[in-house]
Amino acid sequence: MPVRQLSAKTINRIAAGEVIERPASVVKELVENAVDAGATEIEVVTASGGLSLIRVTDNGHGMAPQDLSLSVERHATSKLKEEDLFDIRSLGFRGEALPSIGSVARLEITSRPIGPGSANSIRVDQGTKSDIRPAASNQGTTIEVRDLFCATPARLKFLKSERAENMAVKDVVKRLAMAHPTIGFTVQTGERIGLKLPREAPDTKGLLQRLGHIMGREFLDDALEIAGERDGVRIMGFAGLPTLHRGDSTQQFLFVNGRPVKDKLLIGCVRAAYGDTIPRGRYPLLALFLDLEPRDVDVNVHPAKAEVRFKDTGLIRSLVIGSLRSALQQAGHKASSRGGVQTLQTFQSVVATNAQAVQAQSNHPQSFAKYPRSPAGMSPGLGEAMQAPFAQFDATSADASANAPFKHDQQSLQKPLGAARAQLHETYIVAQTTDSVVIVDQHAAHERLVYERMKKALQNGGIATQCLLIPAIVEVGADAADALCEKEDELRELGLALDRFGTATIAVREIPALLGDTDIEGLVKDLAAELLSEGPNLVLKERLEAVASRMACHGSVRAGRRLTPQEMNALLREMEQTPL
Amino acid sequence: MRLVIERGELLRALGHVTSVVERRTTIPILSNVLLQAQGTSVALKATDLEREVIEEAPATVEEPGALTVPAHMLHDIVRKLADGTQVKLERDEEQDRLTLSAGQSRFSLQTLPADDFPDIAIGEMPFSFECSATDLRRLIDKTRFAISTEETRYYLNGIYLHTAEGEGGPTLRAVATDGHRLAQVELALPEGAQGMPGIIIPRKTVHEVHRLLEASSGSVQVGVSETKVRFEIGTVTLTSKLIDGTFPDYSRVIPQSNDKELRVSNGDFIGAVDRVSTIASERGRAIKLSLDKDMLTLSVNNPEGGSATEELTVSYTSEPLEIGFNARYLLDITSQFEGEDAYFMLNDPGSPTMVRDPADESALYVLMPMRV
Repeated sequence: MPVRQLSAKTINRIAAGEVIERPASVVKELVENAVDAGATEIEVVTASGGLSLIRVTDNGHGMAPQDLSLSVERHATSKLKEEDLFDIRSLGFRGEALPSIGSVARLEITSRPIGPGSANSIRVDQGTKSDIRPAASNQGTTIEVRDLFCATPARLKFLKSERAENMAVKDVVKRLAMAHPTIGFTVQTGERIGLKLPREAPDTKGLLQRLGHIMGREFLDDALEIAGERDGVRIMGFAGLPTLHRGDSTQQFLFVNGRPVKDKLLIGCVRAAYGDTIPRGRYPLLALFLDLEPRDVDVNVHPAKAEVRFKDTGLIRSLVIGSLRSALQQAGHKASSRGGVQTLQTFQSVVATNAQAVQAQSNHPQSFAKYPRSPAGMSPGLGEAMQAPFAQFDATSADASANAPFKHDQQSLQKPLGAARAQLHETYIVAQTTDSVVIVDQHAAHERLVYERMKKALQNGGIATQCLLIPAIVEVGADAADALCEKEDELRELGLALDRFGTATIAVREIPALLGDTDIEGLVKDLAAELLSEGPNLVLKERLEAVASRMACHGSVRAGRRLTPQEMNALLREMEQTPL
Repeated sequence: MRLVIERGELLRALGHVTSVVERRTTIPILSNVLLQAQGTSVALKATDLEREVIEEAPATVEEPGALTVPAHMLHDIVRKLADGTQVKLERDEEQDRLTLSAGQSRFSLQTLPADDFPDIAIGEMPFSFECSATDLRRLIDKTRFAISTEETRYYLNGIYLHTAEGEGGPTLRAVATDGHRLAQVELALPEGAQGMPGIIIPRKTVHEVHRLLEASSGSVQVGVSETKVRFEIGTVTLTSKLIDGTFPDYSRVIPQSNDKELRVSNGDFIGAVDRVSTIASERGRAIKLSLDKDMLTLSVNNPEGGSATEELTVSYTSEPLEIGFNARYLLDITSQFEGEDAYFMLNDPGSPTMVRDPADESALYVLMPMRV
């Protein structure tokens, strides 16, 4: 077949394939335009999942008739100064969205610019542009997209259910709404108002309110403010306490210059910053906003702009980790309030009776034994189980509190983890602070302390290595061998000495003694895979720390051991000192 | 099947065979022991598909036959019977059970058909030799601590037994290594072992053989083929599959040019290492040996726990040297020694050290240092 120049229509449809993947992508492009137009209220309406109708209305600065005509042409934009592709200050800049949408659907734009002029509208029907006609409209722009993908029916087959598409639309708007709290957003899917976000004040309080609307009240209550700046890069936002976590990372929102992104580097930073405070496989909730000179970040990596590239990754990394860590450290051992409040509500009546019990105890120590074993007013279910140990005073270690004189621990009451009051099931320490109750699993707490100590020893004492009698020869592939050799010095510090043994093979000569008789081949292969995926270099550290944590587990106070009040208080105090 | 057997005989035989029976298995018959009554004895056989043990015990057989019963249960029952009791074993044809009666006790055990019992011992043993139980035990004793437990390098999970050319003529040599240390022990090549293939005897078999040897003082008949090994120890016969792999060329790691000689009283050395390593952290137990003229300083520094040093007067004339070792590895090796002294041939802190027992020239150990 001879080589032919493709027609503009075809070119636009091909481009549309990249930018317009599903209705949500249309919504994203249109809402971004509205944001760039300086709107303060944006309304999104969709019908049948966005296939039959998507309408985005804003009250931004609108377009004059001549702009309107040009806007639907390919590579036409008002947002990019021709001379500088690296100084991008708006969300859009490629000048692709409108013609792409117009090429695969029926597009109608109605716009009225600021000032006395009237509104005009233009239609593009599957790539065919109509003339500009006068129309009636308020200030701002309304864009209607009907019969999406009517020109490329193949796409239709790959769409998900209406519900799923609606969810995706809402998701897109949510992300943009987080980055722009001063803009009000409304999303109507079908007949229902799917999302209504009022305008918020232009400060961090407003931002937190907006995040609360989107990520849930829980986040509102347990979020820590993040703020930091270094070398012209600013970070702000909110991060959830380590006790607030989810099984997936969908509640982690990252924005670069107001643009929602999914960036491996940033996700890795979050993981590193939370470190050991979050159980494996759980993800903290957070929304972080990075602001930096447009010149220092390349957003033109991905057609949908979901990825970015930073000029100075080291700076970004240390800034994100640093500010997250410092915020977490300041929060100390504040725990997520949600679960606690719920638990307390469940057995509130029981707590009331306990208060009486404590009173009875302090007034008449002798009458203690006479205290009824099953106090009246106990709530059924959870309450009984919790109450059981108190009811049988002779069988438990609740006497720990009886021995602890009240007046001495006024000071401890002020501490974040309070004063130890009792031990339940010889496993949990119940502590009282000035205004709340803290329950601590003694084994888990002590394990964490021992683990921290071991980790420190690992760092300080250096890692002892065992030289291998027979070097382990591991075939990893040429790329991986290169990557491993490049990191040779770093790995040596962690106790793994290796060198090259042929193009695709590595010889391991020393391993960390801590690992003992271990599967070296597996370790090196995991390491190589990790290095190749350019993720943070964690495997070896994690393995060492896994051994440390196993040893910590064995070396810790076990559940089932009775602790004296002094021991409990000492444990609580040490926990407060432990870095996060 | 019907027979009467003395409780002690039955217990001894069961003790020998049941240890190969896995307590939990997915194939029910593998938890059973096969009883075969014929002539004037009963043969007991147990297997885990990797190895099988057969033992014959004298019995009064009234009616020959064969069946299988749960091994550990039978063992436990017999163990609890009074010493010297006559045990009567009889098959209950109707219910397919084994009735065991002894004194006033009666047990009825579920059986599985004898025909289903696997037989892994089939096959010729083209090589066969005899050696004394003491010699064989020495080979195992002095090497088995170095067997690797790491599953990915499966070919190190056993003792490599093969013929070699020793200093005083052809030898039968046993080698084990886990990649950190290596143990090599040899004995004069027994008649009949010439030309036998090098075999890797799996760890579990090594321990089983060792256990059987402890009770024996006579001679042991060893049969070897490419895939199996058989030990006939007294009335017990153990047949085991071998590890199908190639043992690495260990001779390359045995240092030839280590010229720094250290001679130390073994008892003192073990005591000192043991004492000083108390301070070391749980794993990795690194101990530093600082050598100067006729002086050895052992030291451990654990940032968590403190530090310890101990000095020993030794015989050492080379230039000063500092070298680290895993304390447990040092003790593993030196505790095998028979003589009063231990003899180290060192080179530098990064290359292998050779350790020998002056009282036993046939044993040789290589140990890799640690970097501390």
